[in-house]
Amino acid sequence: MRRHLPAVLVAGWGVLNGLLLVVLAIYRENTMTYWLWGGVVLVLQLFALAVLVSSRARPDQHVRYRVPDRGAGGVLPGAVGLLLVGLCLVYGRWLLVVAVPLLMLSVALVVRGTTAREK
Amino acid sequence: MTLAPDTDAQRGDAGRPVTPGSWLGWVSTTDHKRIGLLTIGTSLVLLLVDGVFALLMRAQLAQPEETFLAAHLYNQLFTMHGSGMIYTVMTPFAIGLGVYLVPLQIGAPGIALPRLTLLGYWLYVLGALTMLAGFATPTGAHADGWFSYPPMADSVHSPGTGPDLWIVGVSLAVTGSILMGWAVLWTVLRRRTRGMTMLRLPVFCWSMIATCLMVIGSFPALLAAMVLLGVGRADPDVFASNVWNIGYQHIFWFYGHPVVYVMFFPYLAAVAEVLAVFSGRRFFGYRGTALSLLVFAALSMSVWGHHMFATGQAANDYYSLTSIALLVPAGVEYFGMLGTILGGRLRLRVPMLFALAFVPQFLIGGLTGIMVGTPVIDYHVTDSYFVVAHLHYVLFAGSAFGLFAAVHYWFPKVTGTLLDERMGRLHFWLLVVGTNLTFLPMFALGYLGMPRRVVTYATFDGFGLLNLLASIGAAFLAAGMTVFVVNVLWTLRRRHLGRAEPAGDDPWEGHTLEWATTSPPPRLNFPADRPLPPVTSFAPLLDRRTGGGTA
Repeated sequence: MRRHLPAVLVAGWGVLNGLLLVVLAIYRENTMTYWLWGGVVLVLQLFALAVLVSSRARPDQHVRYRVPDRGAGGVLPGAVGLLLVGLCLVYGRWLLVVAVPLLMLSVALVVRGTTAREK
Repeated sequence: MTLAPDTDAQRGDAGRPVTPGSWLGWVSTTDHKRIGLLTIGTSLVLLLVDGVFALLMRAQLAQPEETFLAAHLYNQLFTMHGSGMIYTVMTPFAIGLGVYLVPLQIGAPGIALPRLTLLGYWLYVLGALTMLAGFATPTGAHADGWFSYPPMADSVHSPGTGPDLWIVGVSLAVTGSILMGWAVLWTVLRRRTRGMTMLRLPVFCWSMIATCLMVIGSFPALLAAMVLLGVGRADPDVFASNVWNIGYQHIFWFYGHPVVYVMFFPYLAAVAEVLAVFSGRRFFGYRGTALSLLVFAALSMSVWGHHMFATGQAANDYYSLTSIALLVPAGVEYFGMLGTILGGRLRLRVPMLFALAFVPQFLIGGLTGIMVGTPVIDYHVTDSYFVVAHLHYVLFAGSAFGLFAAVHYWFPKVTGTLLDERMGRLHFWLLVVGTNLTFLPMFALGYLGMPRRVVTYATFDGFGLLNLLASIGAAFLAAGMTVFVVNVLWTLRRRHLGRAEPAGDDPWEGHTLEWATTSPPPRLNFPADRPLPPVTSFAPLLDRRTGGGTA
């Protein structure tokens, strides 16, 4: 139980949200709110499941860590690419001409794993 | 991939080395401390920008029938001030503090999902810039307030690209916050060091758990609201139906209330840590406070409709009930803070001053929140300056004081140098005077009937004196912030020149693990020659000093 406390915590918090949602239903609210909040409860339970799977696979507390640090050079081009995709909605799809190559470059950098490393 | 702390073996194909401090090292860093500092630094710069917007507004409102600002520009300023402070200052700072501190406090060498965290930072920066870019468009920036209700915010009533840029910017910024929130939550749940059980987590880590649960639960609703607003701007017929007008309000406030708690839980926890350290004793009521944070967070998901009392389209009884129920966990947290101070050996250094001021000032914000959470009072003061005063007592008199307590407290850990104490005290007193002089009169203004967001008022309204006092208070705030900026820059300059006195690794006699490592901490947080002390409770360093543990 203690080992799975993180998963129980997330699931329990989701259940508490579910209880509050049930009480709201007694007072009758816009149907949209049930879908909205119910969806959140579902997401929380899925997250709790992911934590549970992770805690079954690895120890709850660590002494050895994997610190991933490769491919971070692709992050900034990726973020700019996503910005340009968003701006397509304002200024037109022609921005995809720039956005798509940037996103491809970002993916390539992440996959190739090249990044700056501090001395 | 690096294994830590047992080995520093690195893959040979990991890329070319760069010198520490180079721009390439910063923009592509996976060090949680750097990402945290970038986030905190960016939000502090934006705090100054959005603060200037507020000063311009207070100049306009200082006298009745003032014409210093045109109405449309005034609308842009209050919109960018409000949305900027919420989406790009207080929320990212809170999460950025978690990005920096949580791995250190749980004894981990890094954050989980560091590249995703970095992506979150860049989306946040680009989102903030996109929002501000609206000022460069022919019709100006967005001007419909931070919640931008349709149909006023649709393309018929608010034409131009400024609102569209605002929607894109807000969406990017909040996506960035969500990504950083996921990473912090996964880190605290799954990256704890040996001995760091859940019930030995520092109070700050518990606050980040509650905060990030709310981020995961509520922030996607803002993305949904932005999509709805964007669709409605493309096709204004969407908002011809009241279903989507009220629907937008439900979706927006489902995000809009929990975000208030996202913007104060980390600051409240920073205050809790400061109170314990500067009282020289363990935080009182640890388990009750941890539990109350979780209950508080769950309740916060249930109160959104109190922002819609006056619409007549919400289940007011339910939202009033849950809003008032917030008093219970809030009371537990206050009990913990007061119990920590009482009987302690208080050291009134600058972080403690800010933390002590937080307690009564935030109480005013909280209690007036209960007032506006009651429909009969809300009907009278809704959309008035009373609400403006309430939210500023929560977010400035409360959260911002927690923010400055945190900055003064952790500055020596981050830089190895203490901020100047005299300038810190001047900053504190200017802010105390300025905060209360600015926001206290607003309660009276709202109660007397001054609506929020008006560009001016008539002389016969009788609002002149109270508005003048508020504007004088804003000048105090500007002076205080200037002193703060000078203090930070002057200290960093002295450090750069080697003239600053080293603060040492633990200048305050801290309780939590970040004070066990060097200042500033190395890349993997805990060097081999500084092994982690045994984690015997939520205050392991205090245990080491006193030779005991409780959990």
